[in-house]
Amino acid sequence: MTGVASLSWFVRHELNLAWRDWAALMSGGRALKNGAIVVGMIVFAAALHGLAYAVSKPFFGADAPTETTRLVMLTSGVLLTFTMMLSQAMESVTRAFYARDDLDLILSSPASSRDLFAVRISIMAITTAMMSGLMVAPFINVAAYLDGPHWLAGYGVVLAISGVATACAVLTVLWLFRSIGAKRTRLVAQITAAVVGAAFLIGIQVVAIFSYGTMSRWSVMNSDVVIENAPGIESLLWLPAHALSGDFASLILMLVLSGLFFAFAAFRGANQFRKLVVAALGVSDNSFSHVPTGATFQRRSTHRSVMRKEFQLLARDPWLISQTLMQLLYLVPPALMLWVSFGSKTGLSAIIAPVIVMAVGQLAGGLAWLAISGEDAPDLVATAPVGPRAMISAKVNAVLMIAVMVATPFVLAIALLSVWSAFVTFIGAVAAASCAIFIQLCFRAQAKRANFRRRQVASRTSTVCEAFATLLCAGTVGLWAAGNGLAVIPGCLTLCVLGIAWYLRPRKS
Amino acid sequence: MHERSHALEIINLHKSFTTPAVNDLSLTINVGEFYALLGPNGAGKTTTLRMVAGLLQPDAGEIRVCGIDAQRHPVDAKRLLAWVPDEPMVYDKLTPLEYLEFVAGLWDMDRDLARYKADELMTQLGLEDHVHQRCQGFSKGMRQKVALAGALIHEPQLIILDEPLTGLDAGSSRRVKSVLTDLVAGGVTVIMTTHILEVAERMAARIGVIARGELIAEGTLDELRQTSGRSDTNLEEIFLNLVDDGIARVATDGIAA
Repeated sequence: MTGVASLSWFVRHELNLAWRDWAALMSGGRALKNGAIVVGMIVFAAALHGLAYAVSKPFFGADAPTETTRLVMLTSGVLLTFTMMLSQAMESVTRAFYARDDLDLILSSPASSRDLFAVRISIMAITTAMMSGLMVAPFINVAAYLDGPHWLAGYGVVLAISGVATACAVLTVLWLFRSIGAKRTRLVAQITAAVVGAAFLIGIQVVAIFSYGTMSRWSVMNSDVVIENAPGIESLLWLPAHALSGDFASLILMLVLSGLFFAFAAFRGANQFRKLVVAALGVSDNSFSHVPTGATFQRRSTHRSVMRKEFQLLARDPWLISQTLMQLLYLVPPALMLWVSFGSKTGLSAIIAPVIVMAVGQLAGGLAWLAISGEDAPDLVATAPVGPRAMISAKVNAVLMIAVMVATPFVLAIALLSVWSAFVTFIGAVAAASCAIFIQLCFRAQAKRANFRRRQVASRTSTVCEAFATLLCAGTVGLWAAGNGLAVIPGCLTLCVLGIAWYLRPRKS
Repeated sequence: MHERSHALEIINLHKSFTTPAVNDLSLTINVGEFYALLGPNGAGKTTTLRMVAGLLQPDAGEIRVCGIDAQRHPVDAKRLLAWVPDEPMVYDKLTPLEYLEFVAGLWDMDRDLARYKADELMTQLGLEDHVHQRCQGFSKGMRQKVALAGALIHEPQLIILDEPLTGLDAGSSRRVKSVLTDLVAGGVTVIMTTHILEVAERMAARIGVIARGELIAEGTLDELRQTSGRSDTNLEEIFLNLVDDGIARVATDGIAA
């Protein structure tokens, strides 16, 4: 490439786009002054460092774990970070193939698409490292503060595992393209990304439930079985843990291995980029789905018409289903807990009920966004001879119905243990769903359903309010199910969060 | 009580965003009239029509749809009108028939009538081969036709179209024009914005020209020729002349004020 289309020019262009994406993520898409972004970041970083200090302090205190336990815990931390990075990288790689933002321009230009995609993959690795690094950095910094600067080697480990994660993501997506074709790759890759992101945590919880009857993953990490069967300290398995602890040789080895693997994947991916992108664009352009039409033209009330439309749209969008139901993955551990411990633990429902309430609240929040803000034909709905209250009521009912349908099997299972707990769980699930819907109503903004993944970026306030409200509902239910009168405190705090959401809602001009 | 012979009355309409978008606009459109609203980009055409459709709240002024105060009785007004935006908004995951069924539900239509109208519109607009396909793979032109079918299924008295022919091929464009002409012949009122001046010249009974939020000229093609002082020229020349003069006049009035 020569002139303006040189590799360095494209690197600058991609870095510029990545920075703007990142700034948009931080600012929630609003035009903030640089100063506001910096202040926000400092506050956020301080909060994360405080949290990291609280979590890490015992690790370096008088009760510091033995060497093997320490290695197991560090390795599991690296694995957790790796699964997060892999999930994010798979999402980025898939988007690079299917989002046609600038692909038409790039592919129709005389620039080498191989070089351009090699740059794009590299930027993905950097952004993956940065995004996950944001969450990991406070722990590295706190460790360096408490135990010495050798822990700063953790930044090198983050870079190395982001290279491996991005390489794995590229090779997986290429393999999916070859195996199942361009049409199915997008959906499968995105579901895989979401499952991978949750798999490690949930997997350990499942092991903990079956082995120790508890959902705490630390019970597995610290268990005698794991410690006794762990390989010796010199094993290569502990390479990331040694590197993380500041062993220079291990760090260099990790960086070299990761660099080589990444270079191989980037080379393979870049070579096949044009062919696969053309295949992917062909799918999004020319796919006509032939379906027996469900239109029977039965006379329905407006309310039922809107609800039917919402159900149809959701049921026909496997990607949206996967994105919304992915939150239900977190219900797997409590469901297993119910099954394994059935009849043996009377207080069990008080532990599980909050998890169910949280999951249903989060699910309802996602669905409410889709129904209320993610309306693809807003003009049609707004010009229909239906009052806005009736329209919103139909949409809210559709969301509540799905939330109740999801919660019901769990509530029935709890009812076999304790009818009172089942009642409390049901009320809590409906309350959490209602809170999430209320917050979505407060912060409704017109958006395309395809932007579902970005909904949490669009309004940080609504995301935080939704998280706190469902968390507090869960807390209320947990205490209430256990018969603790203190349940009234998180209950009142939930109402406060709703009040804050109402107060902070954007005013219509 | 207002005259039922007026399909739309706009009286002293104002709307400002950061700057005035519509400024003291008044116009009256008769029942069964084909009215073209022309203007350069950013003139305030779409803002005006979105206020009529109830999608924007005016800062001041009145809007009456077939005599009904659209701000006091929005649901009654909406029952009589249909709005087709320039960017067709349909649901990707629904088939055209399912989309029409949803619209029929919103307007609370009788089942048999809705079914009959849906079949008729699919045929009239050349969509009969696509009734079992989801809209997600449709071209912009096909989506535009689905949106138009949605606007027509509930038999509105007033149809508001914002650039309805954009993205349509020649055959589709002819079909749409034919459907609209038939509707007007049957007493339906059509208001359309377009940048294709030949369409306005051929189809519209009256033409309004808007610039900087103000109506700068209105009338039949002959009346506009007289206004512009060019008796034997086409609409494009008249339009450009009127807009230049109008913008200059609006600017002068603004400075004087």
